[in-house]
Amino acid sequence: MSSLFDLPFDEPEPAQAEANTPVARERPIEGRERARTVVTVSELTSRIRDMLETAYAEVWVEAEISNCRLWNTGHLYFTLKDPGAQLKAVMFKSAVRSLKFKPEDGLHVVVRGRLSVYEPKGEYQIVCEQMEPHGLGALQLAFDQLKRRLQAEGLFDAARKRPLPAFPRKIGIVTSLDGAAIRDMIKVLDRRYPNAHLVIRPARVQGDGAAADLARALGEIVTVPGIDVVIIGRGGGSVEDLWAFNEEVVARAIVASPVPVISAVGHEVDFTIADFAADVRAPTPSAAAEIVVSRKEDFCTHIERLGERLNGAVRGSIARLESRVHQLNRRPGFAGWSARLAMRGRHCAETTHALRHAAHGVVNRRLRTYQALRLQLEQFDLRRRLGAIRAKLVAADTTLRAAAIQRHHRAEARLHTCAARLDSLSPLAVLGRGYAVVWDESRTKVIRQSTEAKPGDTVRVTLAKGELKCHVTSTDD
Amino acid sequence: MDSTINDFEAAIAELETIVKKLEEGDLALEKSLELYERGVQLSRFCHTRLEAAEKRIEILNERGDLRPAGTAFSKDEK
Repeated sequence: MSSLFDLPFDEPEPAQAEANTPVARERPIEGRERARTVVTVSELTSRIRDMLETAYAEVWVEAEISNCRLWNTGHLYFTLKDPGAQLKAVMFKSAVRSLKFKPEDGLHVVVRGRLSVYEPKGEYQIVCEQMEPHGLGALQLAFDQLKRRLQAEGLFDAARKRPLPAFPRKIGIVTSLDGAAIRDMIKVLDRRYPNAHLVIRPARVQGDGAAADLARALGEIVTVPGIDVVIIGRGGGSVEDLWAFNEEVVARAIVASPVPVISAVGHEVDFTIADFAADVRAPTPSAAAEIVVSRKEDFCTHIERLGERLNGAVRGSIARLESRVHQLNRRPGFAGWSARLAMRGRHCAETTHALRHAAHGVVNRRLRTYQALRLQLEQFDLRRRLGAIRAKLVAADTTLRAAAIQRHHRAEARLHTCAARLDSLSPLAVLGRGYAVVWDESRTKVIRQSTEAKPGDTVRVTLAKGELKCHVTSTDD
Repeated sequence: MDSTINDFEAAIAELETIVKKLEEGDLALEKSLELYERGVQLSRFCHTRLEAAEKRIEILNERGDLRPAGTAFSKDEK
């Protein structure tokens, strides 16, 4: 609980003087002051202290708290006041630790304690052993305070709540093995979730250290592989019995859990801080088990339905397509199709036939024309024309030859004439009359003058008949 | 089992999407058959996971050890 009061401190510990009982020193009294009783401040203070501590060894005081401050030593200092007076107060660490709620300024409380005097300052104060909120109970106050604080921190925000898993592989349970809670939960699960896999982390659920144990157990169980949800809780009991579930450390452990946490503390009417921090609050442990089961059952049903819808949808979509095909088949545009197709086929065949027929006709006609032409061509008598041409050629040839012969004869005659005249003109004809022609030895040059030859030369002499080869013996001009 | 399916919740979510798509119609036959096949796989996976789990009660002790709980908690044992 002291962790609630982790506040900074800024002054040194003043409480040590408490143990340091000042020693009252009696001085020897001077004669003239014998009539008076003089005491030191320490002595007087000590006496007052004795009186107060004896008279007010236990006193209950109702007041409002102010100037409340927790020192780092764990002691709490504050002032108790009402409209008319103030009283310094201290609460030592051991007493503070047992407080369920956090004392704070303005709080109306009833304290039980003893009066004491802080001698160094001459102050009297009340040393509180116990403190209760005035009016509502301490636990309720503590609950309200913590709830308010955690709420302000956002720990209870709806946005933090996680959905439970549809089908947890393992269900973690943090509770006592001794209570009815665990048996109740197992009973429910046995009946409706026969293949549940439970992991139980036993924890103390009440008494000193229960909160820390619960928090530790929760922190540990979520590390087990496969745990998808944790139920933390206990069966019914008094407010004090359930108190561990109102401790901050449990709330923080729930919030820190990586998997959803179901709180299941006490009965329907019991609300704890754990319930606010949890992802889901179950009114009782059995109800927590029911919640887990119903998630599973819901999902079984859900999956069944999805399966059916899946089949239905596909069957539906096939049926729709089928009916569309049928409809299209029956549409007039489509219904006459095959007939029209057949008609087209026949038309096509007929056309082909006609085409072939037409083609044949054309070819045949051409053939006939050709034959007719050939006949005509044959009838045109080429050979006769050739014969006529040949006859013409023969005639021409004969004429040509006759002309040629004639010309030949004429040429012969002319030749004779020419030859006769030639003969008469020939110088050689002179030779017949005894003339001779003198040539040089090579018979290339006619020698016309005697100077053209020298004695000793050979000359040739052509006679009318034959030739002489003569030596020139002398020349004579 | 299809190795692409390993998360129960994701499988359900995908199955839901597929069913919705199929129910909306307007899908080509091939596509709807493809979706159907996937849907059947998912549904089978979910069923298997729901049925495959085995009843077990274990105790996690303070040392972090898991051991089976005694018969004390197994009410249905013969």
